[in-house]
Amino acid sequence: MSEVSALLPENIKSENKKYHAFINLGLFLAVLTGIEIVVIFFPWNPWLIFWVLAILSIIKFVCVITWFMHLVYDKLLLTLIFMTGMILATGTVTALMLLFSFDDVDVEAVEILELGVLTLRPLLAL
Amino acid sequence: MSDAAALSNSHDDHGHGHGHIDHTATSTGIENKKLIMWLFLASDCMFFGTLISTHLIYRKVYPDGPVDPTVVFNIPLTSFSTFILLMSSFLMALAVSAMHKGELKSFRNNVLGVVFFGIIFLTCQVFEFTEFVYGKHDADGNLVWEGFTLSTGTFGSTFFVLTGTHGTHVAIGVLWLIGLYFYSFTGRMEHDIHGSAMDVEVAGLYWHFVDIVWIVIFTAIYLVEFINFT
Repeated sequence: MSEVSALLPENIKSENKKYHAFINLGLFLAVLTGIEIVVIFFPWNPWLIFWVLAILSIIKFVCVITWFMHLVYDKLLLTLIFMTGMILATGTVTALMLLFSFDDVDVEAVEILELGVLTLRPLLAL
Repeated sequence: MSDAAALSNSHDDHGHGHGHIDHTATSTGIENKKLIMWLFLASDCMFFGTLISTHLIYRKVYPDGPVDPTVVFNIPLTSFSTFILLMSSFLMALAVSAMHKGELKSFRNNVLGVVFFGIIFLTCQVFEFTEFVYGKHDADGNLVWEGFTLSTGTFGSTFFVLTGTHGTHVAIGVLWLIGLYFYSFTGRMEHDIHGSAMDVEVAGLYWHFVDIVWIVIFTAIYLVEFINFT
């Protein structure tokens, strides 16, 4: 029998541990989704509901990448690579949302910009 | 002979006694396939980030478009889709685990489950899109709300592009997993159990990513619409 064959029971033991973690996590995620659906109909402060939803989503997100995607079992470099993408994406969303969060957004300017794009489109197609 | 026994006898000898099999020596200590997939997922984060931003910004700039999301969104259906996708992620994790243990039969069963759930998700999305395009009618055939398309204002454009891109990702994942399922019958997986486990793990990473993107879309695009900020 090869060296790896002899080690296989150890692998199985390690994978069996993960199996129980996966089952618990699956149930936990299902419960969190249920809470999200119920929360939006609660007569609470809208911002409280928003933050509850945001936090629950972040928890679900982190749980999936940590255990289902094996980041907790893998090398730190993979976490850093993914987090780089995540931080850039979250930064983009946050920056754009902040830029457009002012109530005096010049809708006319946006419309003029869109009109310009529409005008240029046939020219660019040529 | 069981699948596990058959697979264990066909292993290459590269174990190091950690309960984990390290096969390919790379400068990072991470298999190239896995590293590339993580790099791709990091870039895909930015891709979806821009799509989500675009949708949210247009919702902010044009809050009173021709479509009222709180009327047209079918939250029970979308919640069901979300639940299905989460459970498919759970099965995918089990499939990867089964492959690492060398249990080919268990791998096949779990992958079939993932494919089945993926198809259910896509069916729900097709149903939702059809309803959005043709509008909703009551039992007497009267129009309850008018449909909207990709060209119906900014809401239609950004919503269909975002959810359609996600749906395309799901469809690619389903095709990939179907491919892996049939590949498992060729007998090649038994000859290179570690390489095959890595292939399954990489496919699993992609599938889980599709799931986490939907977690964000479900909250940011669907649920947030029902919060009354005024």
